[in-house]
Amino acid sequence: VSPARPAPAAGEAAAGDAAFGREALGHVDALYDHARRLTRNDADAEELVQECYARAFAGARTFAGGNLKAWLFTIMRHTFIDQHRRNQPRPALGELDVVDGADDRDRELLRDDRELDRLRRLVGAEIEAALASLSEEARAIVLLDVEGFTETEVAEVLGCPVGTVKSRLARARVLLREKLAEYRR
Amino acid sequence: MSGCEDTRPLLPDHAAGRLSDGARGAVAAHLERCEGCRQALAVETALGDALQRLPRHRAPASLRRRVESLLAATSPPAPAPTPMPAPVAPARPRARVRAWAAPLAAACASAAVVFLVMRTPAGPHDAPAGALVSEAVNDHLRVVQSARPAEIESGGIHQVKPWFTGKLDFAPRVAFAGDDEFPLVGGSLGYFRDRKAAVFLFKRRLHAITLLVFTPDGLPWPAGPAQRLGRLEVVEEASRGFSALLWREQGLGYALVSDVNAADLERLAAKINAPEN
Repeated sequence: VSPARPAPAAGEAAAGDAAFGREALGHVDALYDHARRLTRNDADAEELVQECYARAFAGARTFAGGNLKAWLFTIMRHTFIDQHRRNQPRPALGELDVVDGADDRDRELLRDDRELDRLRRLVGAEIEAALASLSEEARAIVLLDVEGFTETEVAEVLGCPVGTVKSRLARARVLLREKLAEYRR
Repeated sequence: MSGCEDTRPLLPDHAAGRLSDGARGAVAAHLERCEGCRQALAVETALGDALQRLPRHRAPASLRRRVESLLAATSPPAPAPTPMPAPVAPARPRARVRAWAAPLAAACASAAVVFLVMRTPAGPHDAPAGALVSEAVNDHLRVVQSARPAEIESGGIHQVKPWFTGKLDFAPRVAFAGDDEFPLVGGSLGYFRDRKAAVFLFKRRLHAITLLVFTPDGLPWPAGPAQRLGRLEVVEEASRGFSALLWREQGLGYALVSDVNAADLERLAAKINAPEN
Protein backbone atom coordinates (compact mmCIF):
# COMPACT_ATOMS: atom_id res chain seq x y z
CA VAL A 1 0.00 0.00 0.00
CA SER A 2 2.68 2.43 0.96
CA PRO A 3 6.42 2.35 0.85
CA ALA A 4 8.20 0.72 3.75
CA ARG A 5 9.14 2.87 6.65
CA PRO A 6 12.75 3.56 7.44
CA ALA A 7 14.34 1.41 10.09
CA PRO A 8 13.93 2.90 13.55
CA ALA A 9 16.58 3.71 16.04
CA ALA A 10 17.08 0.88 18.51
CA GLY A 11 14.82 1.09 21.53
CA GLU A 12 12.06 2.98 19.81
CA ALA A 13 10.60 -0.10 18.22
CA ALA A 14 8.67 -1.53 21.15
CA ALA A 15 6.95 1.70 22.07
CA GLY A 16 6.15 2.31 18.41
CA ASP A 17 4.51 -1.09 17.97
CA ALA A 18 2.38 -0.79 21.08
CA ALA A 19 1.26 2.68 20.01
CA PHE A 20 0.57 1.44 16.49
CA GLY A 21 -1.63 -1.41 17.71
CA ARG A 22 -3.45 0.78 20.20
CA GLU A 23 -4.11 3.53 17.71
CA ALA A 24 -5.20 1.04 15.05
CA LEU A 25 -7.70 -0.55 17.44
CA GLY A 26 -9.00 2.90 18.27
CA HIS A 27 -10.45 3.18 14.77
CA VAL A 28 -12.54 0.01 14.93
CA ASP A 29 -15.85 1.85 15.32
CA ALA A 30 -15.15 4.23 12.43
CA LEU A 31 -14.07 1.32 10.23
CA TYR A 32 -17.10 -0.74 11.17
CA ASP A 33 -19.47 2.16 10.54
CA HIS A 34 -17.95 2.69 7.10
CA ALA A 35 -17.93 -1.07 6.39
CA ARG A 36 -21.57 -1.34 7.43
CA ARG A 37 -22.53 1.38 4.97
CA LEU A 38 -20.44 -0.09 2.15
CA THR A 39 -21.75 -3.64 2.55
CA ARG A 40 -25.18 -2.73 3.96
CA ASN A 41 -25.29 -5.75 6.25
CA ASP A 42 -23.78 -6.73 9.59
CA ALA A 43 -22.15 -10.03 8.67
CA ASP A 44 -20.28 -8.70 5.63
CA ALA A 45 -19.26 -5.58 7.55
CA GLU A 46 -17.77 -7.67 10.35
CA GLU A 47 -15.88 -9.87 7.91
CA LEU A 48 -14.60 -6.81 6.06
CA VAL A 49 -13.31 -5.12 9.22
CA GLN A 50 -11.69 -8.29 10.49
CA GLU A 51 -9.93 -8.94 7.19
CA CYS A 52 -8.86 -5.29 7.07
CA TYR A 53 -7.20 -5.58 10.48
CA ALA A 54 -5.57 -8.89 9.54
CA ARG A 55 -3.99 -7.21 6.52
CA ALA A 56 -3.05 -4.12 8.52
CA PHE A 57 -1.34 -6.02 11.33
CA ALA A 58 0.44 -8.32 8.90
CA GLY A 59 1.63 -5.32 6.89
CA ALA A 60 2.27 -2.94 9.78
CA ARG A 61 5.77 -2.13 8.64
CA THR A 62 4.55 -0.88 5.29
CA PHE A 63 2.80 1.98 7.09
CA ALA A 64 4.86 4.98 6.08
CA GLY A 65 3.66 7.30 8.81
CA GLY A 66 1.08 10.00 8.40
CA ASN A 67 -2.58 9.41 9.07
CA LEU A 68 -3.03 5.86 10.35
CA LYS A 69 -6.81 6.10 10.06
CA ALA A 70 -6.54 6.96 6.36
CA TRP A 71 -4.11 4.06 5.90
CA LEU A 72 -6.61 1.66 7.53
CA PHE A 73 -9.45 2.98 5.39
CA THR A 74 -7.28 2.46 2.30
CA ILE A 75 -6.65 -1.17 3.28
CA MET A 76 -10.35 -1.64 3.90
CA ARG A 77 -11.14 -0.16 0.50
CA HIS A 78 -8.80 -2.67 -1.19
CA THR A 79 -10.25 -5.49 0.89
CA PHE A 80 -13.78 -4.44 -0.04
CA ILE A 81 -12.91 -4.40 -3.73
CA ASP A 82 -11.28 -7.81 -3.41
CA GLN A 83 -14.28 -9.27 -1.60
CA HIS A 84 -17.21 -7.60 -3.25
CA ARG A 85 -16.33 -6.20 -6.61
CA ARG A 86 -14.06 -8.88 -7.95
CA ASN A 87 -16.42 -9.79 -10.76
CA GLN A 88 -17.21 -6.26 -11.79
CA PRO A 89 -14.62 -4.61 -13.98
CA ARG A 90 -14.19 -1.06 -12.85
CA PRO A 91 -15.10 1.52 -15.45
CA ALA A 92 -12.37 4.03 -16.19
CA LEU A 93 -14.94 6.79 -15.91
CA GLY A 94 -17.50 6.44 -13.13
CA GLU A 95 -20.79 8.22 -12.70
CA LEU A 96 -19.03 10.82 -10.57
CA ASP A 97 -16.65 11.83 -13.33
CA VAL A 98 -18.48 14.56 -15.13
CA VAL A 99 -16.65 15.71 -18.21
CA ASP A 100 -18.74 18.76 -18.99
CA GLY A 101 -20.32 21.23 -16.60
CA ALA A 102 -20.32 19.61 -13.19
CA ASP A 103 -23.41 21.33 -11.90
CA ASP A 104 -25.86 20.80 -14.73
CA ARG A 105 -27.87 18.46 -12.53
CA ASP A 106 -27.30 20.76 -9.59
CA ARG A 107 -29.00 23.60 -11.42
CA GLU A 108 -32.00 21.41 -12.11
CA LEU A 109 -32.49 20.76 -8.42
CA LEU A 110 -34.67 23.21 -6.65
CA ARG A 111 -32.52 25.41 -4.54
CA ASP A 112 -35.47 27.03 -2.93
CA ASP A 113 -36.68 27.33 0.61
CA ARG A 114 -38.60 24.09 0.33
CA GLU A 115 -35.45 22.04 -0.21
CA LEU A 116 -33.71 23.90 2.56
CA ASP A 117 -36.61 23.31 4.90
CA ARG A 118 -36.69 19.61 3.98
CA LEU A 119 -32.97 19.20 4.57
CA ARG A 120 -33.19 20.86 7.95
CA ARG A 121 -35.99 18.58 9.09
CA LEU A 122 -34.45 15.32 7.87
CA VAL A 123 -33.98 12.72 10.55
CA GLY A 124 -31.02 10.36 10.66
CA ALA A 125 -32.99 7.37 9.35
CA GLU A 126 -34.10 9.30 6.26
CA ILE A 127 -30.64 10.42 5.28
CA GLU A 128 -29.36 6.93 6.00
CA ALA A 129 -31.90 5.43 3.60
CA ALA A 130 -31.08 7.98 0.89
CA LEU A 131 -27.39 7.32 1.29
CA ALA A 132 -27.91 3.56 1.11
CA SER A 133 -29.71 3.97 -2.21
CA LEU A 134 -26.71 5.73 -3.81
CA SER A 135 -24.14 3.83 -5.81
CA GLU A 136 -21.28 2.44 -3.76
CA GLU A 137 -18.92 4.91 -5.42
CA ALA A 138 -21.01 7.95 -4.50
CA ARG A 139 -21.73 6.65 -1.01
CA ALA A 140 -18.06 6.05 -0.29
CA ILE A 141 -16.88 9.55 -1.19
CA VAL A 142 -19.67 11.29 0.75
CA LEU A 143 -18.92 9.19 3.82
CA LEU A 144 -15.15 9.69 3.64
CA ASP A 145 -15.79 13.42 3.60
CA VAL A 146 -18.14 13.15 6.58
CA GLU A 147 -15.48 11.07 8.32
CA GLY A 148 -13.25 14.16 8.24
CA PHE A 149 -10.59 13.10 5.73
CA THR A 150 -8.78 15.73 3.68
CA GLU A 151 -8.98 15.69 -0.11
CA THR A 152 -5.53 14.15 -0.28
CA GLU A 153 -6.54 11.39 2.11
CA VAL A 154 -9.80 10.73 0.26
CA ALA A 155 -7.79 10.44 -2.97
CA GLU A 156 -5.44 7.98 -1.29
CA VAL A 157 -8.28 5.84 0.05
CA LEU A 158 -10.18 5.78 -3.24
CA GLY A 159 -7.07 5.54 -5.39
CA CYS A 160 -8.08 8.48 -7.57
CA PRO A 161 -6.24 11.69 -8.48
CA VAL A 162 -6.47 14.41 -5.82
CA GLY A 163 -7.68 16.82 -8.46
CA THR A 164 -10.85 14.82 -9.05
CA VAL A 165 -11.96 14.52 -5.43
CA LYS A 166 -13.66 17.90 -5.22
CA SER A 167 -15.72 17.44 -8.38
CA ARG A 168 -16.60 13.82 -7.55
CA LEU A 169 -17.70 14.79 -4.08
CA ALA A 170 -19.80 17.68 -5.39
CA ARG A 171 -21.41 15.34 -7.87
CA ALA A 172 -22.11 12.71 -5.22
CA ARG A 173 -23.70 15.31 -2.96
CA VAL A 174 -25.98 16.41 -5.80
CA LEU A 175 -27.00 12.76 -6.33
CA LEU A 176 -27.73 12.50 -2.61
CA ARG A 177 -29.89 15.64 -2.71
CA GLU A 178 -31.80 14.18 -5.65
CA LYS A 179 -32.51 11.05 -3.62
CA LEU A 180 -33.57 13.12 -0.64
CA ALA A 181 -35.88 15.18 -2.86
CA GLU A 182 -37.51 11.94 -4.07
CA TYR A 183 -38.14 10.79 -0.52
CA ARG A 184 -39.83 13.96 0.58
CA ARG A 185 -41.86 14.57 -2.55
CA MET B 1 -13.73 39.49 -8.72
CA SER B 2 -15.18 35.98 -8.37
CA GLY B 3 -18.31 34.88 -10.14
CA CYS B 4 -20.80 32.11 -9.40
CA GLU B 5 -18.81 29.65 -11.53
CA ASP B 6 -15.75 30.07 -9.31
CA THR B 7 -17.68 30.27 -6.07
CA ARG B 8 -20.04 27.29 -6.25
CA PRO B 9 -17.39 24.54 -6.14
CA LEU B 10 -15.90 26.16 -3.03
CA LEU B 11 -19.14 26.35 -1.07
CA PRO B 12 -18.93 22.94 0.66
CA ASP B 13 -15.39 23.76 1.83
CA HIS B 14 -16.57 27.21 2.86
CA ALA B 15 -19.43 25.67 4.86
CA ALA B 16 -16.96 23.30 6.54
CA GLY B 17 -14.47 26.08 7.31
CA ARG B 18 -11.78 24.50 5.15
CA LEU B 19 -10.85 27.41 2.88
CA SER B 20 -7.67 29.41 3.08
CA ASP B 21 -7.98 33.03 4.18
CA GLY B 22 -7.67 34.37 0.65
CA ALA B 23 -10.27 32.04 -0.83
CA ARG B 24 -12.61 32.63 2.10
CA GLY B 25 -12.42 36.37 1.55
CA ALA B 26 -13.23 36.04 -2.14
CA VAL B 27 -16.16 33.72 -1.45
CA ALA B 28 -17.50 35.97 1.29
CA ALA B 29 -17.31 38.99 -1.01
CA HIS B 30 -19.20 37.16 -3.72
CA LEU B 31 -21.83 35.87 -1.27
CA GLU B 32 -22.59 39.41 -0.17
CA ARG B 33 -23.82 40.35 -3.57
CA CYS B 34 -25.22 37.02 -4.84
CA GLU B 35 -28.54 35.75 -3.53
CA GLY B 36 -28.26 32.51 -5.55
CA CYS B 37 -24.93 31.53 -4.02
CA ARG B 38 -26.16 32.40 -0.54
CA GLN B 39 -29.04 29.99 -1.10
CA ALA B 40 -26.63 27.36 -2.43
CA LEU B 41 -24.44 27.79 0.65
CA ALA B 42 -27.45 27.38 2.91
CA VAL B 43 -28.31 24.11 1.12
CA GLU B 44 -24.72 22.81 1.39
CA THR B 45 -24.65 23.69 5.07
CA ALA B 46 -28.02 22.02 5.70
CA LEU B 47 -26.87 18.89 3.84
CA GLY B 48 -23.65 18.79 5.86
CA ASP B 49 -25.63 19.13 9.09
CA ALA B 50 -28.03 16.39 8.00
CA LEU B 51 -25.09 14.07 7.29
CA GLN B 52 -23.82 14.70 10.80
CA ARG B 53 -27.14 13.34 12.08
CA LEU B 54 -26.45 9.94 10.50
CA PRO B 55 -26.70 7.28 13.17
CA ARG B 56 -23.33 5.60 13.76
CA HIS B 57 -22.97 1.84 13.69
CA ARG B 58 -20.72 0.79 16.55
CA ALA B 59 -18.54 -2.26 16.19
CA PRO B 60 -20.13 -5.23 17.99
CA ALA B 61 -18.26 -6.34 21.10
CA SER B 62 -17.59 -9.75 19.54
CA LEU B 63 -15.86 -8.13 16.56
CA ARG B 64 -13.83 -5.91 18.86
CA ARG B 65 -12.64 -8.97 20.77
CA ARG B 66 -11.71 -10.78 17.58
CA VAL B 67 -9.68 -7.82 16.36
CA GLU B 68 -7.95 -7.52 19.73
CA SER B 69 -6.94 -11.18 19.65
CA LEU B 70 -5.82 -10.76 16.06
CA LEU B 71 -3.51 -7.99 17.22
CA ALA B 72 -2.27 -10.08 20.10
CA ALA B 73 -1.59 -13.02 17.78
CA THR B 74 0.14 -11.04 15.06
CA SER B 75 3.82 -10.83 15.51
CA PRO B 76 4.67 -7.64 13.70
CA PRO B 77 7.11 -8.26 10.91
CA ALA B 78 9.55 -5.54 11.77
CA PRO B 79 10.16 -2.82 14.28
CA ALA B 80 7.85 0.10 14.01
CA PRO B 81 9.53 3.39 13.32
CA THR B 82 9.86 6.43 15.44
CA PRO B 83 6.82 7.12 17.59
CA MET B 84 3.63 7.74 15.67
CA PRO B 85 3.75 11.07 13.91
CA ALA B 86 0.85 13.42 14.39
CA PRO B 87 -1.85 13.13 11.76
CA VAL B 88 -1.10 15.16 8.64
CA ALA B 89 -4.03 17.46 9.12
CA PRO B 90 -5.62 18.55 12.37
CA ALA B 91 -9.08 17.11 12.94
CA ARG B 92 -11.67 19.24 11.30
CA PRO B 93 -14.14 20.94 13.61
CA ARG B 94 -16.99 18.75 12.41
CA ALA B 95 -15.16 15.49 13.03
CA ARG B 96 -16.85 13.90 15.98
CA VAL B 97 -15.27 13.26 19.31
CA ARG B 98 -15.51 9.56 20.06
CA ALA B 99 -16.54 9.21 23.67
CA TRP B 100 -15.51 5.57 23.66
CA ALA B 101 -11.90 6.23 22.74
CA ALA B 102 -10.57 6.30 26.29
CA PRO B 103 -12.24 3.11 27.57
CA LEU B 104 -11.21 1.34 24.38
CA ALA B 105 -7.61 2.38 24.82
CA ALA B 106 -7.70 0.94 28.32
CA ALA B 107 -9.25 -2.26 27.02
CA CYS B 108 -6.51 -2.58 24.45
CA ALA B 109 -3.71 -2.25 26.96
CA SER B 110 -3.65 -5.95 27.79
CA ALA B 111 -3.60 -6.89 24.13
CA ALA B 112 -0.75 -4.46 23.61
CA VAL B 113 1.32 -6.20 26.27
CA VAL B 114 1.05 -9.51 24.42
CA PHE B 115 1.89 -7.62 21.24
CA LEU B 116 5.13 -6.45 22.81
CA VAL B 117 6.10 -9.87 24.09
CA MET B 118 5.54 -11.48 20.73
CA ARG B 119 7.53 -8.98 18.73
CA THR B 120 10.29 -10.50 16.70
CA PRO B 121 13.67 -8.83 16.84
CA ALA B 122 14.93 -6.89 13.88
CA GLY B 123 16.05 -9.26 11.15
CA PRO B 124 17.83 -9.18 7.82
CA HIS B 125 14.55 -8.16 6.13
CA ASP B 126 15.09 -4.65 7.41
CA ALA B 127 17.60 -4.11 4.67
CA PRO B 128 16.04 -2.32 1.68
CA ALA B 129 16.52 -5.48 -0.38
CA GLY B 130 14.40 -7.36 2.14
CA ALA B 131 11.40 -5.03 1.79
CA LEU B 132 9.95 -7.07 -1.06
CA VAL B 133 10.57 -10.32 0.78
CA SER B 134 8.81 -8.92 3.81
CA GLU B 135 5.91 -7.77 1.65
CA ALA B 136 5.67 -11.22 0.07
CA VAL B 137 5.60 -12.86 3.51
CA ASN B 138 2.89 -10.42 4.62
CA ASP B 139 0.86 -11.29 1.54
CA HIS B 140 1.27 -14.98 2.28
CA LEU B 141 0.06 -14.41 5.85
CA ARG B 142 -2.89 -12.39 4.59
CA VAL B 143 -3.83 -15.23 2.27
CA VAL B 144 -3.58 -17.98 4.85
CA GLN B 145 -5.37 -15.89 7.49
CA SER B 146 -8.14 -14.94 5.12
CA ALA B 147 -11.55 -16.45 5.70
CA ARG B 148 -11.73 -17.21 1.98
CA PRO B 149 -8.18 -17.76 0.76
CA ALA B 150 -9.19 -18.84 -2.73
CA GLU B 151 -11.70 -16.79 -4.64
CA ILE B 152 -11.62 -19.33 -7.41
CA GLU B 153 -11.33 -22.94 -6.36
CA SER B 154 -9.11 -24.84 -8.65
CA GLY B 155 -10.53 -27.08 -11.28
CA GLY B 156 -7.09 -26.94 -12.82
CA ILE B 157 -4.85 -24.17 -14.10
CA HIS B 158 -6.99 -23.75 -17.20
CA GLN B 159 -9.81 -22.64 -14.95
CA VAL B 160 -7.72 -20.45 -12.68
CA LYS B 161 -5.71 -18.50 -15.26
CA PRO B 162 -8.65 -17.29 -17.38
CA TRP B 163 -10.39 -16.16 -14.19
CA PHE B 164 -7.84 -13.32 -13.94
CA THR B 165 -8.79 -11.97 -17.36
CA GLY B 166 -10.22 -8.49 -16.98
CA LYS B 167 -9.15 -8.30 -13.34
CA LEU B 168 -5.50 -7.52 -14.02
CA ASP B 169 -3.73 -5.47 -16.65
CA PHE B 170 -1.36 -8.33 -17.40
CA ALA B 171 -1.71 -12.05 -18.01
CA PRO B 172 0.03 -14.05 -15.28
CA ARG B 173 2.28 -16.62 -16.94
CA VAL B 174 2.34 -19.82 -14.92
CA ALA B 175 3.38 -22.94 -16.80
CA PHE B 176 2.74 -25.33 -13.94
CA ALA B 177 -0.75 -26.80 -13.54
CA GLY B 178 -0.12 -28.48 -10.19
CA ASP B 179 0.72 -32.13 -9.58
CA ASP B 180 0.55 -34.63 -6.74
CA GLU B 181 3.53 -33.07 -5.03
CA PHE B 182 2.29 -29.46 -5.34
CA PRO B 183 -1.46 -29.47 -5.98
CA LEU B 184 -2.96 -26.16 -7.16
CA VAL B 185 -5.64 -25.13 -4.66
CA GLY B 186 -6.97 -22.02 -6.34
CA GLY B 187 -6.37 -18.37 -7.03
CA SER B 188 -7.40 -14.92 -5.94
CA LEU B 189 -6.67 -11.27 -6.51
CA GLY B 190 -4.26 -9.61 -4.16
CA TYR B 191 -1.97 -6.67 -3.77
CA PHE B 192 1.80 -6.63 -3.88
CA ARG B 193 2.94 -3.27 -2.53
CA ASP B 194 1.01 -0.72 -4.55
CA ARG B 195 -0.13 -2.94 -7.39
CA LYS B 196 -2.56 -5.72 -8.07
CA ALA B 197 -1.20 -9.24 -8.14
CA ALA B 198 -2.40 -12.64 -9.26
CA VAL B 199 -2.30 -14.97 -6.27
CA PHE B 200 -2.00 -18.71 -6.85
CA LEU B 201 -2.34 -21.10 -3.93
CA PHE B 202 -0.45 -24.37 -3.95
CA LYS B 203 -0.05 -26.99 -1.29
CA ARG B 204 2.80 -29.21 -0.21
CA ARG B 205 1.34 -31.84 2.10
CA LEU B 206 -0.34 -29.69 4.78
CA HIS B 207 1.61 -26.52 4.04
CA ALA B 208 0.19 -23.59 2.15
CA ILE B 209 2.33 -22.04 -0.58
CA THR B 210 1.52 -18.65 -2.05
CA LEU B 211 2.67 -17.56 -5.48
CA LEU B 212 2.31 -13.88 -6.34
CA VAL B 213 2.65 -12.73 -9.92
CA PHE B 214 2.87 -9.00 -10.56
CA THR B 215 4.47 -6.37 -12.74
CA PRO B 216 7.86 -5.58 -11.20
CA ASP B 217 8.38 -2.14 -12.78
CA GLY B 218 9.55 0.44 -10.28
CA LEU B 219 9.96 -2.00 -7.38
CA PRO B 220 13.22 -1.88 -5.42
CA TRP B 221 14.31 -5.29 -6.60
CA PRO B 222 16.79 -7.02 -4.28
CA ALA B 223 20.28 -6.57 -5.69
CA GLY B 224 21.31 -10.10 -4.79
CA PRO B 225 22.98 -12.40 -4.05
CA ALA B 226 20.93 -14.24 -6.63
CA GLN B 227 21.35 -17.90 -7.43
CA ARG B 228 20.82 -19.65 -10.73
CA LEU B 229 17.89 -21.99 -10.91
CA GLY B 230 17.90 -23.28 -14.44
CA ARG B 231 17.60 -20.11 -16.48
CA LEU B 232 16.15 -18.12 -13.59
CA GLU B 233 18.03 -15.77 -11.29
CA VAL B 234 16.36 -16.28 -7.96
CA VAL B 235 16.76 -14.22 -4.80
CA GLU B 236 16.17 -16.47 -1.84
CA GLU B 237 15.61 -15.21 1.68
CA ALA B 238 14.30 -16.53 4.94
CA SER B 239 12.11 -14.19 6.92
CA ARG B 240 10.17 -14.85 10.11
CA GLY B 241 10.28 -18.60 9.63
CA PHE B 242 9.15 -18.44 6.00
CA SER B 243 11.15 -19.03 2.88
CA ALA B 244 10.67 -16.61 0.04
CA LEU B 245 11.90 -16.83 -3.53
CA LEU B 246 11.75 -13.85 -5.85
CA TRP B 247 12.52 -13.81 -9.52
CA ARG B 248 11.71 -11.97 -12.71
CA GLU B 249 10.92 -13.60 -15.99
CA GLN B 250 9.81 -12.02 -19.26
CA GLY B 251 8.64 -8.78 -17.71
CA LEU B 252 6.77 -10.28 -14.76
CA GLY B 253 7.77 -10.55 -11.12
CA TYR B 254 7.23 -13.73 -9.12
CA ALA B 255 7.28 -14.25 -5.37
CA LEU B 256 6.89 -17.68 -3.86
CA VAL B 257 6.40 -17.91 -0.09
CA SER B 258 5.81 -20.75 2.31
CA ASP B 259 6.94 -22.40 5.49
CA VAL B 260 8.07 -25.47 3.55
CA ASN B 261 11.81 -25.80 3.12
CA ALA B 262 13.67 -23.79 0.51
CA ALA B 263 14.55 -26.86 -1.56
CA ASP B 264 10.85 -27.64 -2.03
CA LEU B 265 10.19 -24.05 -3.07
CA GLU B 266 13.05 -24.16 -5.57
CA ARG B 267 11.57 -27.28 -7.16
CA LEU B 268 8.20 -25.54 -7.42
CA ALA B 269 9.76 -22.37 -8.85
CA ALA B 270 11.46 -24.41 -11.56
CA LYS B 271 8.13 -26.01 -12.45
CA ILE B 272 6.31 -22.68 -12.53
CA ASN B 273 8.70 -21.19 -15.01
CA ALA B 274 9.37 -24.28 -17.10
CA PRO B 275 9.14 -23.31 -20.78
CA GLU B 276 5.50 -23.48 -21.83
CA ASN B 277 4.59 -26.07 -24.40
